[in-house]
Amino acid sequence: MSAAPAAVFFALAALASFVVRDAFLLDSLILILLWGSAAAAWNVAGGYAGQISLGHSAFFGLGAYGAAVLGTRWDLSAWIGLAVGAVVATAAGLVLGFLSNRLRGPYFVLATIAFSQVLLIVASRLRAFTAGSEGIPVPFRPGFWTLGLADKRVWVWIVLVVAVLAYLLQRYLDVSRRGYQLAAVREDEDAALSLGVAARRLKVAAIAVSAALTAVTGALWAQYVGFVDPFYVFSVDLSVRFALASIIGGLGTALGPFLGAVLVTTVETYLRAQFGGIGAGLVGIYLVVYGTALIVMVRFAPQGLVGWLRRS
Amino acid sequence: MSLLSVAGVTKRFGGITANRGISFDVAPGELVGIIGPNGAGKSTLFEIISGFYRPEEGDVRLDGVRLTGLSPDRVCRLGVARTFQKLRPFAGLTVLGNVMVGALTRTKDVRHAREQAREIVARVGLEDKADAHARTLSTGQRKRLELARALATRPRLLLLDEVTGGVDQRTIPALVQLVRELHASGLTLLVIEHNMRVITAVTQRIIALHLGEVIADGPPDVVARDRAVVEAYLGQAYTR
Repeated sequence: MSAAPAAVFFALAALASFVVRDAFLLDSLILILLWGSAAAAWNVAGGYAGQISLGHSAFFGLGAYGAAVLGTRWDLSAWIGLAVGAVVATAAGLVLGFLSNRLRGPYFVLATIAFSQVLLIVASRLRAFTAGSEGIPVPFRPGFWTLGLADKRVWVWIVLVVAVLAYLLQRYLDVSRRGYQLAAVREDEDAALSLGVAARRLKVAAIAVSAALTAVTGALWAQYVGFVDPFYVFSVDLSVRFALASIIGGLGTALGPFLGAVLVTTVETYLRAQFGGIGAGLVGIYLVVYGTALIVMVRFAPQGLVGWLRRS
Repeated sequence: MSLLSVAGVTKRFGGITANRGISFDVAPGELVGIIGPNGAGKSTLFEIISGFYRPEEGDVRLDGVRLTGLSPDRVCRLGVARTFQKLRPFAGLTVLGNVMVGALTRTKDVRHAREQAREIVARVGLEDKADAHARTLSTGQRKRLELARALATRPRLLLLDEVTGGVDQRTIPALVQLVRELHASGLTLLVIEHNMRVITAVTQRIIALHLGEVIADGPPDVVARDRAVVEAYLGQAYTR
């Protein structure tokens, strides 16, 4: 696929930072780009390498905690927290990658869920280090070095850079030698091996890179939102959101996760606003909508939004 | 000096011995057929040579280099390519993409790999299908695709598992011709084949397996009349 639609997409986002003044719209844009990047990171493992994970919140949480813990305990820069989170997540990704060489299909999916839930338990019990289940408020320290930015337009630019990098990473997998080899591993690991592809190493590398990028989005999210709650950042809900945006947008396509994120984030924001008030009985309705959307997509546009757009 | 040397290979699965002390050599440029009734251990032997199974005893060497214990991708990079009896195309990739994966084992340059893949796709007669997804191919075309993919890794030894199995009668001659051409171009081949007419048409040497052991090794007409081979295929009643 040509890169033109993506260029338009990212250019519009950049343009919006100059034109749009409305805080709510800017907030939506930042979240779309952030969730899009997280979905793109998921897509590297789930779409390109074919390793469907429902535990990617583990990496998101490690990134979020990296930034929050280092910032509050040692007063370190948010960027250092982000880097540390990414390194720790890479190590965790290597562990998960190792599991992917032992477990296939549903067994791998279950292992990924367990993986994120173990981290949830650790984070919520290690009170001395992570403040336990109360979560960590991330202090607002003004300045770029500490990522204390009141101007949402600057945030748009920061997440846009991450989004473009995530997009380019996927494009690399579309056209490069490693990308072809990874596609072969996804389609049939034994056949890939028989053709000289170092399948295991490639798969582990893809999962590790995916983990690192997810952690980066987690760290940025923590700084942007200002609070890290273990039950949110390590939740299965969040993992499902990454997978869902990627699948709805187009599994294994570079722009897909971003299109999926537009849809998922918009719908969720709308439904929360409509039905989410205190005492409302339909708080969880967005889950029903997600489920329905997934069924509809799988039935009518199995290649996702990107595949559907390409055909029409 | 032999290209492939199999020495005393034994492979057990639980109580079953699939390969028992199998030994033979293949000279460079030779085309050797492997026959045997179902369960004789032909496919197991291929899995061992290509690195998917590790034998309990014995050694496989390619040009003196030990292959036993190496992973399949290393074995491929050392020069052994194979096809699968149960075809395994990369269904979601195009024909060209499938073959490029093989070519990329020998070159780092994607454009170069694409050119090579195009040549090989034409060589096996799939040029009209180059941009079609592998899942849309017929069985005969898939066999050609597997062959093309394996050839793209530029093997010194090619293992073919049932080239004509499951293919309709009319496409068999073309596949046989393809194997002949590969042999004529100097490639060394080891071919598992059920169809005796096919195997005797392309090779000067057949190895017969039965219950995991080599029971005959020689020219096709000699092997076909071998007492042990006839017994293995038809039972004792048919041996005079």
